[in-house]
Amino acid sequence: MIVAEDMHVHFRTRFLRRKVRALNGLTLEVRDGDFFALVGQNGAGKSTAMYCFLGLLRPTSGKVRIMGQVPELGCGLYKDIAYLPEEPHYHLYLTVEEATRYYSALSGKSVSKQTVNETLERLGLGRFKSLPLSKCSKGMKQKVGIAQCLIHQPKVLFLDEPTRGLDPIMVKEFRETLREIHQRGATIVMNSHVLSEIEMLANRVAIIEQGKVVLQDELQNLLTVNRDLYKVVFQANGTVPNYLTGVDRTGDVVRAFLPKTKLHDFMELVKTSGLQLHECSLKRASLEESFFNVIRGEELPFCGDSQPSSTAIP
Amino acid sequence: MAELIKANIAAGLTYYRRSKLLLAFMLLFLLLTGLQSLPSIFMDSGVQSFNSLRQVISTLNGFLLILAAGMGLLIMSSHLRNRSLKMVFTKPCPPAVWLLSTFLSAALVSLLLNMVVLTGGIVLSLVWHFPVRVGLFFVSAQTFAISLGLMSYLALLGTVMHPVLAAVVALIFNAELFYDFHLWTLGAIQSGYNHWALRALERVFHVFYIALPMLDPFDDKTANIHSSLRVLSNEWKYLLFSFGYALALSTFCYFVSLYALQRKNHI
Repeated sequence: MIVAEDMHVHFRTRFLRRKVRALNGLTLEVRDGDFFALVGQNGAGKSTAMYCFLGLLRPTSGKVRIMGQVPELGCGLYKDIAYLPEEPHYHLYLTVEEATRYYSALSGKSVSKQTVNETLERLGLGRFKSLPLSKCSKGMKQKVGIAQCLIHQPKVLFLDEPTRGLDPIMVKEFRETLREIHQRGATIVMNSHVLSEIEMLANRVAIIEQGKVVLQDELQNLLTVNRDLYKVVFQANGTVPNYLTGVDRTGDVVRAFLPKTKLHDFMELVKTSGLQLHECSLKRASLEESFFNVIRGEELPFCGDSQPSSTAIP
Repeated sequence: MAELIKANIAAGLTYYRRSKLLLAFMLLFLLLTGLQSLPSIFMDSGVQSFNSLRQVISTLNGFLLILAAGMGLLIMSSHLRNRSLKMVFTKPCPPAVWLLSTFLSAALVSLLLNMVVLTGGIVLSLVWHFPVRVGLFFVSAQTFAISLGLMSYLALLGTVMHPVLAAVVALIFNAELFYDFHLWTLGAIQSGYNHWALRALERVFHVFYIALPMLDPFDDKTANIHSSLRVLSNEWKYLLFSFGYALALSTFCYFVSLYALQRKNHI
């Protein structure tokens, strides 16, 4: 579906003409039907990679193909593509309704007035239809961006920080909408700093660091289960056993990690001292932990019989 | 394609309608012109009224030229500077179509305003009991042709450079300036100061004079029409020439702007 091969993007700074490597040999593949997340620190090159996928930026070298074609500005390929930019760079002199109508007219598919109105109502913009975009809040502009993405039912969606500026209710609703679109068969490529959101939505993840992909894998391989460590949450009425690690106390409630070898001792303690145990489960590495491990150059927390299948690129 | 052009023209017209800068400029200029023509309404002398009509038409046409230049510059620079074009070019709307629509929307506004000025001229003629002179139509049509060329040239400058710089280039570094420089160096050479650097400068100024677009290349041929508002049968060809020049200049500016637009990174 989307293939990037050894993509380099170099900029020169305006005054000192210093060379900046925004992308440094980025290679990745997004398969048909993927919900693909690009993860990385600020300035890692996520948005630059997305600009290259969309043809808004020409790579200095390397190749990029979407559905087998080289993306060019405004080419026919975009009939099936929707893009939600990170910054709301819209036509600020248009009203909410005019902008939605204009963007859907540009998409080349005829969209009825009713569909436009329904989409705006669904996103909570019905009351603000005649408000100019220049007077809209960031969240409202983001909703206009989402409306123009959803209105013509695209096959590929590029979302750059899609939930930025949205209220929690809208984030949840948007998440549901994305799930719906994905289940309908659309391919989604998303940039986000909210790793918990990616954990909920994506099926594949690429971690970008200094302009290249350092790891690309199925999300479930990154959310590995550590069979040597248990996560325990209990109510402590006295001292905490010293074999617990990563102890985090909030009032009486203690969250900590318990080594597998000490499980029996801990259960004995619970039984004898009458500790109120809330949770005891195998520790699952979150995407956040995997991300930090990759960024720090540490190994991923694979253990037991699970083998690393990630494409880690040095 | 037609749908895309229609949608882009509608957006362009909305831009002009809501541009506060253009609106303020338009109101200010109309107010000044109104104040200028107010005393003539109460004049009895036909000659004085005719002179007033000529002056009002000339002032309003000058205003239309400035407005056309402003429209060309503003529409390009505002879209490029607020980076909204990324929303257009990530849809199946190529830069060539967007640019064509932008030129057409500016041309439509310019045409509409020219017609308003022409109607104003006709109304004033009727109010002051003159026969409606055919020169009014000629002057309006020629102003429209010049507006097209000027708007395209400023749109090109707005695409390749900062709008302030573009305005400076259009106002100061224009063909007239280089023509004056060319005459000055030529005069110096002919008066005996025949240094190679001066000869080189003279050539450079001449090239710039030839290369830069002119506001009205046929002004010496049509000056009489503007002053008398009468057109001789052999003078209509200059209107055709004016449109030909405007069309050639607009086409050139369109393709250079398109090239620059395609080379830009819209991020």
